[in-house]
Amino acid sequence: MTWTIARKEILSNLLSYKFFVVLLLMVLLVATSLFIMHRDYNLRTADYQIIRPKPGEPIALLAPNPLSIFAKGLDEAMTRSFEIGSVGITVRAGQSSGNVIYSFFPAPDFLYIVRVVLSLVALLFGFDQVSREREQGTLKLVLGSSVSRAKVLAGKWLGNFLSLAVPFLLVTLLGTAVLLLDPQVRFSPGQFARLGLILFLSVLYLGFFLSLGILVSALTKRAATSIVVLLFIWALLVFIIPNLGTLLARQFVAVPPVRALSEKHQQTWTREVLLGMAKGVDRKEGIATIIRENDQLEKDYRLKFDRLVRLSRNINRVSPSASFLDAASEIAGTGIGEESRIKGDIIRYNDAVIGRILADWNVIDKDKTYPAFTYKPRSLGEIFAGGALFDTAWLVFFNIISFALAFVAFVRYDVR
Amino acid sequence: MMKTLIAKEVRANLLSFRFLASFVILFVVVAITAAVLAGDYTRSLDDYSQRQAEIEKYLRTYAHFNRIQGVLQATQPPIPFQALVRGLTADVNMEEFDDDPLPVMFPLIDLTFIVTILMSLIALILSYDAVCGEKEDGTLKLMLANNLARSKIVLAKFAGGALTIVGPFLVSLAAGMIIILAHPRLGWAGADWGALGLIAAGAIVYVSVFYLIGVLISSTHRSSASSIMTSLFVWVLLILVVPNLSPYVASFVSPAPSRIKVYREMRRLTDVDRDELGRKLSDEYRAEALRQYPVLAERLTESEVKSRVAADAEYRKAYEAMRAAVEKAWADANRIQGAKSDALEADLGRKEKAQTGLARAISMASPLADFSYLATDLSSTGTRNLEHFGRLREAWGSTFYGDYRTKKLAEFKARNPTADEWNTAIDMTDAPRFRYTEESLGGRLGAALAPFAVLLGYCVVLFAAAYAAFARYDAR
Repeated sequence: MTWTIARKEILSNLLSYKFFVVLLLMVLLVATSLFIMHRDYNLRTADYQIIRPKPGEPIALLAPNPLSIFAKGLDEAMTRSFEIGSVGITVRAGQSSGNVIYSFFPAPDFLYIVRVVLSLVALLFGFDQVSREREQGTLKLVLGSSVSRAKVLAGKWLGNFLSLAVPFLLVTLLGTAVLLLDPQVRFSPGQFARLGLILFLSVLYLGFFLSLGILVSALTKRAATSIVVLLFIWALLVFIIPNLGTLLARQFVAVPPVRALSEKHQQTWTREVLLGMAKGVDRKEGIATIIRENDQLEKDYRLKFDRLVRLSRNINRVSPSASFLDAASEIAGTGIGEESRIKGDIIRYNDAVIGRILADWNVIDKDKTYPAFTYKPRSLGEIFAGGALFDTAWLVFFNIISFALAFVAFVRYDVR
Repeated sequence: MMKTLIAKEVRANLLSFRFLASFVILFVVVAITAAVLAGDYTRSLDDYSQRQAEIEKYLRTYAHFNRIQGVLQATQPPIPFQALVRGLTADVNMEEFDDDPLPVMFPLIDLTFIVTILMSLIALILSYDAVCGEKEDGTLKLMLANNLARSKIVLAKFAGGALTIVGPFLVSLAAGMIIILAHPRLGWAGADWGALGLIAAGAIVYVSVFYLIGVLISSTHRSSASSIMTSLFVWVLLILVVPNLSPYVASFVSPAPSRIKVYREMRRLTDVDRDELGRKLSDEYRAEALRQYPVLAERLTESEVKSRVAADAEYRKAYEAMRAAVEKAWADANRIQGAKSDALEADLGRKEKAQTGLARAISMASPLADFSYLATDLSSTGTRNLEHFGRLREAWGSTFYGDYRTKKLAEFKARNPTADEWNTAIDMTDAPRFRYTEESLGGRLGAALAPFAVLLGYCVVLFAAAYAAFARYDAR
């Protein structure tokens, strides 16, 4: 019986104007997003080829991550070049720095499309499931036959979920297939698995919004009320909580501004050079002072920043949208956790080669060779242990709770 | 009659659930945002004065002209308007190792966000069934059966609807203003209030655009269920898609060379290539000098050359000519390669500017981008302010490195003629400091006029379209 209802839902969706609009939106957005982010990836890869360090240079540089086409995250920050030298780590930023319009609006990657646009679409599938059928009078007829309300609700959920998820997955897989025609985009089997996980999370995320839609529609008498409530909940979950949460966390954890750090570096460095020249003291001593003071400063900053990230993550988790963003970008390898891990490795690399760089002060450039920087991205196991598992479980929990509440609301629903 | 119609629209809206929900949400979000952002502003103000104190301390003891440019720099202080509009003020710092990636992942929420996302959504929610809803209820027939022009009905619907949205917006904004006024450390000047008034005017026009989009869509649809679908579809495209795609599309249409590539090329031109050219030119010029002064062909050791220069006036002349030739060769090489590298940089700058302009133009198809530009430019947190800041920095740079440094170096040289004036600590506490002042409101207004005009244009076109659609609407 559940399947019959699901089929009825799918068939009626297929014929509806809503489905047409949604399908159009999905195809348009997923295709444009993949096309545009693919081009962005290629440009950044071209840059990477240019500044790739020659063997022996003490430069840490990572190639752009092909999964950044789907989840750009912090890939741009991660693929900067970090040059180790006696004055500290010199950073060169990449591509998009010339056009300020980039910093006005978030990148329209696949994750953004799912998180912001498709969540709205999922709500549109759910918002009138109960209240519209009541308004049309068909709910009475369905319940008049000997079907349990649980089965009706399950059928509705399944039918709408399939009419949302199947086109979504088809469009995405088709887009990915087209993407793979470009020989520059190479996914390893591991990355395919990660992409699969991201798709799984996306479907889970959309499932939550569908259940939420059904829940609200079972709580309201009219579809017009239901859509209003849902749109506000959507704005709250997708925009307000994640963005306000980060600001709120800053009120509790005082992190010094990053500019203060770079200013302090400059001050320490120029001071030591001056003192070294004036007193004729050993250059090495001055550099040791610079490194000691800066290390202290940076360590302090990183500790506080880690606390800030943890706190803002936990505040943001109130919204499944932030959970989804965190988990999916970490799995793609472009999240905040991965970035701080890369930085940790660069600091270790700096500590490993800085002694030799200082010792080689008088050696001509040609003869200096240092071990290359290598970075091994976190494995899926580490990513899951570092929070993604919790976020996934959290999304599952949101799904279950919203469906259970929808069931309770529907059981108590007055069909008259 | 107009009055009655508008009053009816306003009353119908006021009593509706959607109005109440919108009002509550708007009020709460504006109040929370203003409070949180005001706290954030005072924190960044403290941080800023602490940073300035560090610099002052440095200037007293360790300042020396060789490396002062790394320490004494023009920095943008936090401005009081950040308690409402954040714009481009997020401290991301991609140029340094320790950056702050949080604003990249979670963009900050501010008044611009509230207006662009929440208010536009509210406007559509209130207007998507303006016409088709009345048709479904059957009241449209009744209304039209009276002696009422359709143009009056559209105008009344628009005016009544806009009034009902503007009310809650202004009340919420007042709540935000009270929070700002009550904040002890947030000194807003007259220009700030003026800018806020202008931004509020822009917000009203912006909301009107979306209300009219709703009216237009509702008078092209038979049922409100399909009207809301189309409305949301248009909303998604205008708000969530067009602005975000615009810089990427612009980089596709009007490509700029990669900065990294250009800087590499520039470095090669002024380094390896310069050396090569310098060697080639100095060979040429030396050969020339040799032809003029054959005496130079003699092979001498360094000390022999020295003694001969001292003794022989003729040889000294030849020697000087040779040295001048070599110097000229390198100066020429520097000039030629420098010009090539400058041309590359200028070309990059031109192309980036073209691309930015195009991205801006494309994004202005979206009312969201128009309002964002309007609000950030008026509040000195946008691109206009970046340019203004650049000009101030340049002016300060020329007073510091021109007048002040020349004077200070001369003074120092007069006192201790033998010391190295570049690498000795000089008390620079009397140095001219960079003072940031916001651009005058008039200038900011000039920048905001273009997006404002686009929004107004949208209003006019949409109203005409809504009227045309409603005039042809089948009320049965």
